[in-house]
Amino acid sequence: MIRKRVVLLLLVVLSAAFAVSCRSRAREVVVYLSIDQVFTEPILRDFERQSGVKVRAVFDTEETKSTGVLNRVVAEAASPQADVFWSGDPVRPMLLVKRGLVRPYVSPNAAAIPPAFKAADGSWTGGAARARLLLVNKNRVKPGELPRSVRDLADPRWKGQTAIANPLFGTTTMHVAALADAWGDDALKDFLRQLKANGCRIASSNGEVKRLVAAGEVAFGLADTDDAAEALHDGAPIAVVYPDQDGMGTLIMPTAVVPLAGPNPEEARRLVDFLVSAQAEQKLVDAASHIPLRPDVKPPAGGKRASEIKTMQVDYARIAGTMERLQPWLREWVGV
Amino acid sequence: MAAGMGWGLALRRREEPLLLVAAGAALAALALLPLVSLAGQLATREALLGASRALSAPRTWALFMSSVGLAAAVTIASLVVGLPLGVLLGRTDIPFRRAALWLHTFPLFLPPFLLALGWFHLLGRGGLAGSAPGARLLFSPVGVVLILALALTPVVTSLVVVGLQAVDPSLEEAALLVAGPRRTSVRILLPLIRPAVALAALVVFSLAFSELGVPMFLRVGVYPAMVFSRLGGVDYAPGEAFALALPLFMVAVALLVVERRAAGRRSFAVLGPRSREVPALRIGRWRPAAIVFAAAAALVPLLPLASLAIRALRGGGFSKLPQWMGTSAWNSLLDAFLAGTLILALAVVIGHAAARRRRGGVGLDALAVLAFVTPATVLGVGLVATWNRPSLQAVYGTSAIVALALAARYGAVGLRTAAVSFSQGSEHHEEAAAIGGARFLRRLGRILVPIHARGLAAAWLLAVVFCLRDLETAVLLYPAGQEPLTVRIFTLEANGPEPVVAALACVQVAMTAAVLAVGSALLFRRKT
Repeated sequence: MIRKRVVLLLLVVLSAAFAVSCRSRAREVVVYLSIDQVFTEPILRDFERQSGVKVRAVFDTEETKSTGVLNRVVAEAASPQADVFWSGDPVRPMLLVKRGLVRPYVSPNAAAIPPAFKAADGSWTGGAARARLLLVNKNRVKPGELPRSVRDLADPRWKGQTAIANPLFGTTTMHVAALADAWGDDALKDFLRQLKANGCRIASSNGEVKRLVAAGEVAFGLADTDDAAEALHDGAPIAVVYPDQDGMGTLIMPTAVVPLAGPNPEEARRLVDFLVSAQAEQKLVDAASHIPLRPDVKPPAGGKRASEIKTMQVDYARIAGTMERLQPWLREWVGV
Repeated sequence: MAAGMGWGLALRRREEPLLLVAAGAALAALALLPLVSLAGQLATREALLGASRALSAPRTWALFMSSVGLAAAVTIASLVVGLPLGVLLGRTDIPFRRAALWLHTFPLFLPPFLLALGWFHLLGRGGLAGSAPGARLLFSPVGVVLILALALTPVVTSLVVVGLQAVDPSLEEAALLVAGPRRTSVRILLPLIRPAVALAALVVFSLAFSELGVPMFLRVGVYPAMVFSRLGGVDYAPGEAFALALPLFMVAVALLVVERRAAGRRSFAVLGPRSREVPALRIGRWRPAAIVFAAAAALVPLLPLASLAIRALRGGGFSKLPQWMGTSAWNSLLDAFLAGTLILALAVVIGHAAARRRRGGVGLDALAVLAFVTPATVLGVGLVATWNRPSLQAVYGTSAIVALALAARYGAVGLRTAAVSFSQGSEHHEEAAAIGGARFLRRLGRILVPIHARGLAAAWLLAVVFCLRDLETAVLLYPAGQEPLTVRIFTLEANGPEPVVAALACVQVAMTAAVLAVGSALLFRRKT
């Protein structure tokens, strides 16, 4: 009796395995994403409905945001699996360009995107962007005392009352690299040492920074536009400050659609066309409170256009190099 | 013709070692080849320099020692609670002890990060019983130790309970003639089950030491996170990650040596049914306190699950499940069933060899344990390097790669369970069949598997449940669009709607409970 059951079970398992391995691979595209699943999955479903092409996705986790799937693309270089990388920023894709894993494509739908937010050769095309913001708890900071610059994170006046996310992962990596390019490596390292001395808390992610500020555990912290929108949506006592508007400007990070050398080039181009379209950008702007880059996309309620903000002047390719160079020092600074 | 017959005869005579070689080769391909492949990435001078720099940095060893301390604290806490609880639930007369054992053990089969998420909804800022001191405690090394101890204590409790069943009743009865229940438990029963305790300590320490999800969620730095930072950070350096994993391998070997020393030759023969039933120990005036202790041990681990359910219910998370769950639950089950079946196939051969102390059997058991304690991220990247080739897309591009990865990581679970089962049976049946001319495959099919069907089914079930709870292995290499439920919960946890994430966590709990319930019902069906 038991033997019969075991044989039956084996048959079921093997049939399921066979069914999976024989699954049709016709008209499908594989996309790796480092943008939150909660915002992007509905957009991918729209593409499936409109094109009839099946999308198979790999999403990143919050803690390894932007680098987990990026490294998977690198690890799979011997036999590429992904057709498109939809990145939360345009810097990390440079590492893929450097390794020859990108198959450039200039989408006709990208014509309306400003040149500063796309590569001329089509190796990446920017979309709805995020800004790096200071989230301030209004119960802990009076209106007249709002911080105005990222340097305020290291101000002794706020000792033990500030937070940033782990700079090894996520948008904070790119931000510290951009600061290094703007100030120089030594000034950036001094700043980070001052942060530590000032008791700045190192959160696991921007989402955690948002939670710390919203709960009033810290007075203010550095996070992204979407974190701010979410906190405001939840009714948190938050004020939003675009830092350094009277100085170097606020760092803006467009999302980036990167065509890869994957096994489905035709479907990949169709997906790229869709993701850089006004329709997809509008949906991402609405869902994640991003900043629109295209003139034909409306900002979210209470939000701004990129053109309304004094933005930091950055060279994304240069930031990519700085980011790699800083990693050993940053690991030491973080303590891992 | 005669030469052909000679070869056939020789092959039949060597069936057992040949089968062991085949199973060993499969295990090595799954667990060793990926590590060798990663070690190969250290072949350049630059990589070697980077690795030696990383290994000689003081902070590397500071973090390593801190992780050892953390895992030791979890192990001690688990032993302190699990040993008396195991005796109480296994041998005394307190009421509802079987139900209490089931409830207490259940969280072991859930991903620890899911329990951390539950505790966060309970004690974190804005939690059901949230407070600033509670949140501070949760997001600290103490919080990590408490959550992991609560998650892993059932390993000790259940192994003690099962170990006690294997104690010769006459020894216990003799002790009770001259001593009370407490003295009998402490002086006679616990020393007799030392091998089971050693095994429990090994498993708890290994799981606590290699845990990544809970410390990362609670923002506590641990050594596996350092290894992970070489794979998840910008400057991807798998060779360096392998070098940083070397101290972990040393810990694994040290643990194995300690366990073997503690268990002696009884490593695998420590668990099993007792030859006859004996009356439960009566604990007299300690009974009320014991009941409170057992009730707390049964109910406290369920608090985070309740908080997840409440969070999901309050936010309408369950109604949004169809929108967010996709095929992830089915993917989880398929991956786990495939991996469990593969593990069982290996466990029948290797577990038997280990239980019978065949040459190579114990070494393969050690290899399986090594893979079990290797950081999942290191093993995962090694598997990508080994299997992601154009000719192997039928494996790498499908659920098969997840099943292989899970089999590599959790092979030890099934192998050890099968070895325990085989070691309970007498060798005489096999010897008699061998003398009668039955070759090994026949003995396996006609005698060993039928006799040990229940033990082997338990090995399969345990392996399946451990694969179901996995996050860290699958997250690195699941095929696009086929993520298991644990991965979907983890990726949606990033800014996803909290009630939906909580509802998905509840689905994971329900799915695990269903697999355990059905499996256990089938396992124990013939007993009643």
